[in-house]
Amino acid sequence: MMDKYTKLQMTGIYAAVTVFLIFILLPFFEMFMASLRPLEHLFRSPYQFWSDDFSFQAYRDMWDTVPLLGRYIINSVFIASAVTGLTMIFVVPAAYAYARLNFPFKNGSLAIFLGVNMFTGAVLLIPLYRVLRSMGLLNTYWAMIVPGVAFLIPQGIWLLRSYLEKIPRELEEAAFVDGASRLYTLRRVVLPLATPGLIVVGTAVFIGAYAQQFLFAITFNQQRELQPLPAGLFEFIGYQDVTWNQMMAAALTGILPVMVIFLFLQKYLVAGLTAGAVKE
Amino acid sequence: MATLELMSISKSFGSAKVLHDISLAIRDKEFVVFVGPSGCGKSTLLRIIAGLEEATSGQIMIGGEDVSTAHPVDRGISMVFQSYALYPHLSVYENIAFPLRVQKMEKAELDTRVQQAASILQLTDKLQLKPGQLSGGQRQRVAIGRSIVRNPKVFLFDEPLSNLDAALRGDMRVELSQLHRSLDATMVYVTHDQVEAMTMADRIVVLNGGHVEQFGTPMELYHHPRTKFVASFIGQPNMNLIPATVSAADATGVKVTLTGGHEMVLPVEGGRVAKGDKVEVGIRPEHVQIGDGGFPISVNVLERLGGVSITYGTLGDGVRFCASLPGDAAVEEGQPLALTVSPEDCHVFDASGDVLRRMSAPAIAANG
Ligand SMILES: Nc1ncnc2c1ncn2[C@@H]1O[C@H](COP(=O)(O)OP(=O)(O)O)[C@@H](O)[C@H]1O
Ligand SMILES: [Mg+2]
Repeated sequence: MMDKYTKLQMTGIYAAVTVFLIFILLPFFEMFMASLRPLEHLFRSPYQFWSDDFSFQAYRDMWDTVPLLGRYIINSVFIASAVTGLTMIFVVPAAYAYARLNFPFKNGSLAIFLGVNMFTGAVLLIPLYRVLRSMGLLNTYWAMIVPGVAFLIPQGIWLLRSYLEKIPRELEEAAFVDGASRLYTLRRVVLPLATPGLIVVGTAVFIGAYAQQFLFAITFNQQRELQPLPAGLFEFIGYQDVTWNQMMAAALTGILPVMVIFLFLQKYLVAGLTAGAVKE
Repeated sequence: MATLELMSISKSFGSAKVLHDISLAIRDKEFVVFVGPSGCGKSTLLRIIAGLEEATSGQIMIGGEDVSTAHPVDRGISMVFQSYALYPHLSVYENIAFPLRVQKMEKAELDTRVQQAASILQLTDKLQLKPGQLSGGQRQRVAIGRSIVRNPKVFLFDEPLSNLDAALRGDMRVELSQLHRSLDATMVYVTHDQVEAMTMADRIVVLNGGHVEQFGTPMELYHHPRTKFVASFIGQPNMNLIPATVSAADATGVKVTLTGGHEMVLPVEGGRVAKGDKVEVGIRPEHVQIGDGGFPISVNVLERLGGVSITYGTLGDGVRFCASLPGDAAVEEGQPLALTVSPEDCHVFDASGDVLRRMSAPAIAANG
């Protein structure tokens, strides 16, 4: 790689990166700080950055304040995982078809998929509610999983298709000449080579599923035991006061699983996002 | 028995016609090379034979059987791709075994076949490596290994050596020729490199713009090119083509005046041309000698290769001329040089590029 930036340019780049990172990370930092403060210090004026009575007490108390908190976290992970799994089952063959096969209306249908993606879930809540009600899925896990899958499929197809297109066609032709069927080729050749791409898409879908479950949870589900964390966090808002420090602690604990997954997959993510850029 | 017959194969991509009515009969165990410039349709023709592409019209027969719509495996062909097309996530062993795994071949038999292919190709100690850990030449051998385990009737190669460096290419040419002899199979080999074609082929198909220009043994193409295109494509350095005017012609010879004024009587069938016609006289660089009574060129560049001296110059008003002279020939850059050529060695092409048949052509080498 050529290092073709001057010192001044490098300084500029790092300054921009720093500003960007601060912008992104400051809320998390403030969440963390808030979670350490005793409740009565939260509203202290003037703002005090550090004081001696900081503690992890909120991380202990939150389980008592909201007894179902653990359940909510598990629900969140479960719903996001189920959405991811189901989405991938649909996305893999569809993306492969769009990447390799020719069929009538191919580009048109792909555009429609993207068009659907333009609508946020919120616009479609009422029709979705009616659909889910007539299918008897309200107040079940399915009420949060099915819409999640539906909204994430288009994005997944778009991401994975462009990845699969980069796998050399000659590999598949070689397999075809040697007598392999499409499915055999997909299983033995294409998918193993697309693993980084699958991980990238899977992660993107998982994050999408994690982020969007709030809307579906508060609209389509009344059952407390089934709620995911974002909805469960409401329970920190009491009649008298809001235990902000515990809410922040719970929120941080809730995103911990996602962060851990990210750390493990980071290697693949970087490789996957740049794979195919260089001819190997 | 694996003869390969193409009958009036044509191919269009949309409105672009890429192959025009190609008919060829390739004999059993023959090594045939398709050669031609880039984009002339070589790969397309090979892919049609393989069954990767469907011909717009025409038929393909392998071993006397019509396989025009058959699956590649049922055609009994196997193919080596230009990029090798090795599976990067599988070991060399699994790459070679792939076609057998597809057939669900029983383990012991599969192992025997893979080991056998590996030993032919000197890959035995590389079987556990991934393709990424191999050199270009070794990858090439793995690709060949994968194509031989299935014992196909016809091998197809699409520019298999074009990714290798020059030295390795020379070695692999020899190896492929040996492989052909030891496998005793019909091979069709595509290249844009006339040296590969000349050195390896039993017979060469010269393709140009989707047409077969000529199909014959290397020496046939060398001594009897049917068109100007074949003449200038085969042979290294390329044949010189000198514009000339016919001053007399009959069935036994043509009298021409070369650019620059030199007059020659050439023993070719002159029935098709008449006095005043423009023709081109083809002279191979290796057929000229230094001597008086011929035509002068002015030498621009001289390449002394040791055994030969390649001389690039101009003839008359700017026609480029190349001569291949003895290694220590008395030639100097910037000096005029008198060259002669015997009339029997000259080729004459009419205005449409077709050859006038030579009457005193050298005998064709025995491999015809
Ligand atoms: N799939 C395709 N679609 C459209 N045109 C093609 C396709 N494959 C090849 N061609 C065209 O056919 C011609 C011959 O290509 P090809 O057989 O690859 O040539 P070669 O192998 O001799 O270089 C080229 O002009 C190429 O652009
Ligand atoms: Mg080609």
